[in-house]
Amino acid sequence: MSKILKKATLLVLAATTLLFSLMDQAAFAHGERATEPYIRTRTVHWYDVTWSTDALNVNDTVTVQGKFHLLNDWPDSVSLPNLVFLSNGSPGAVMTRVESYINEIPARQSTKGLIIGRDYDFKLVMKARKVGQWHLHPVMNIHGAGAVVGPGEWITVSGNEADFKDPLTTLTGNKIDDLQTFGVSRVQMWQFGFGLIAAVWILWWLRRPLIISRWLVVQKGRENLLITPMDDKVAAGLLVLLAMVVLVGYTRTTSEFPELVPLQSGSLSAPPLPKPPHAVEVKFKRAEYDVPGRSMRLSVEMTNTSDQPVSVGEFTTANLRFINKSLPAAVAAVSSKFPKELVPRNGLVIDNPEPLAPGESRLVNLDTTDAAWEVERLVSFLSNVDSRMGGLLFFYDGKGNRSMSEVYGPIVPVFKKTI
Amino acid sequence: MTDNDQAILAAAEMSPRIARYSRTFDYLIVVIAAFLVWSVTHIHFLLFAGDWDFFIDWKDRQYWILITPIVSIMSAAAFQAIFWSLFRLPIGATASALLFLIGVWIVRYHSWEGMAYFPLSLVVPATGLVGAMALDCILVLSRSWVITAVFGGVIYGLSFFPTNWIYLAPYFQPAEHMGEMASVADIIGYVFPRSGTPEYIRIIERGTLRTFGDSANWVSAFFSAFVCIFAYSVFWLMGVAACTPKYIPVGYRFKELYGAKIDAGAV
Repeated sequence: MSKILKKATLLVLAATTLLFSLMDQAAFAHGERATEPYIRTRTVHWYDVTWSTDALNVNDTVTVQGKFHLLNDWPDSVSLPNLVFLSNGSPGAVMTRVESYINEIPARQSTKGLIIGRDYDFKLVMKARKVGQWHLHPVMNIHGAGAVVGPGEWITVSGNEADFKDPLTTLTGNKIDDLQTFGVSRVQMWQFGFGLIAAVWILWWLRRPLIISRWLVVQKGRENLLITPMDDKVAAGLLVLLAMVVLVGYTRTTSEFPELVPLQSGSLSAPPLPKPPHAVEVKFKRAEYDVPGRSMRLSVEMTNTSDQPVSVGEFTTANLRFINKSLPAAVAAVSSKFPKELVPRNGLVIDNPEPLAPGESRLVNLDTTDAAWEVERLVSFLSNVDSRMGGLLFFYDGKGNRSMSEVYGPIVPVFKKTI
Repeated sequence: MTDNDQAILAAAEMSPRIARYSRTFDYLIVVIAAFLVWSVTHIHFLLFAGDWDFFIDWKDRQYWILITPIVSIMSAAAFQAIFWSLFRLPIGATASALLFLIGVWIVRYHSWEGMAYFPLSLVVPATGLVGAMALDCILVLSRSWVITAVFGGVIYGLSFFPTNWIYLAPYFQPAEHMGEMASVADIIGYVFPRSGTPEYIRIIERGTLRTFGDSANWVSAFFSAFVCIFAYSVFWLMGVAACTPKYIPVGYRFKELYGAKIDAGAV
């Protein structure tokens, strides 16, 4: 009985393994939380990111656009953004990329010379290809550093995948019906042809006595029996045939496509956006992460350099947006369509909610308490070689005008409240 | 059975009964060997030249033409050496290239298109099959691995570009995209996004080869042909070493297990 059980168990295990290895499985996550927190909190900060829609049909487009800021406190161990590529994060090619821009400059190729401390505009236009629900992020790939993934929104694609088409007309006037299938049958036909010739060649040899008999004959020094004059003729004939096929095929192809270009490679420059309004000077004093309380507390000295009273509305880092819920302008800045998991429920709590008067300096304690720190895997202050944090603070004046300041500095993990 | 087949069996001192058993053994070994050749060639190629074969927008005039033949001739030479040294079977290079090509297409359909939704146009492979067949033919005609290395290596390296150009050339037609000129291959690579493969990791004609302009393809092909001679030679010798019995750790117990009589003095 136990033998039968063992066999049955083994059989089930083998069948399950085989089944899972053969099944096509959709990937629902694509590493957005895998990047080390010191990269996500201190390099590229995405803000004002919007998705034009969260539901579309096959062949419809969705536009993802917004801005990103490159923090001055760029980690030493991360390559500077001298060469970057704006991309999208989604599970495979479920959507096609129609266009992409950094500061309205095409980002089909890589972009060079981004400047830390500055802001850039980006735009991605994606076209729905595969039916399903897909998490769509903007992604900034930094040469030597890897990908910094922006906020992601779930996009539902419906319709019929078979309707998807991506046509193109070349500069020589050739019309391509669909880039998905373009040229594939030509490749397969030729490779099948070469494969057929190769199979015939192999079978020419395999049809005879093979392994043991040939080995014994080789050992006895009777090699003359193993390669016959007919084999020589076949080999010579095959060589001539191959040379003819390649020569004729290549000549005909070059006359069929006289105007061809090499792969296009290179990088473009994108100057940064003009410096945004800067109403508040922020001087970092202390930051601590309360390990049991899941709370990041920040103590900063703020000086209002504008002529309007301003209030702290938002602290953002690693795509999380901690909103000061007592400030209507800050609450209104969060679109109802923005991914809710990136807007922690407890928000941003400020010890003194009074607006900062023009010219006034004040020490302000900010509290961001939420499980999101753990969920987003941002807590590695104890294991980092440089335990620092970074983010952006958004301020609003009475008219709803927004300004932005960087905040960064060392962070201390604590096990009880000190500030 | 031909006269030559009978002569081979006679030389091998095989009775008709033993010959039948031997034939069954042949079938088993051919199937096992096919999987072995397939997997070794596939892994070797993925490790050394993966991206150049994966994507259409990596197939540039310099590194694709240079690297792909040099890497693929290595396993072709090693298997050719094994099949030739042991059995005088000139099929090692062809089998290596053909099984690799079959394996590549299976992976393209199952993994790239089936699991990651990449269209086949993005991942069409190139092949060194024509060069591999030429290697086997030259080995038959010359019976010499040195001549095969010199002439076969050159033909292998030189034939790679024109052979594959027959069906890949359409991907290099010019088109306009976002106000810039790009090849259709560039556009396919851009349109079907690979999240983990930023554009800047493509290695496209870096260096001074572009001073040769439209002839860059052939300059790469000639240099590849030159290097193929040495790549072939090194891996032929490795193949010979791999199938030399003195390198196989077979102990006395193993021999006894299979019924061999061990000399008393040798133990």
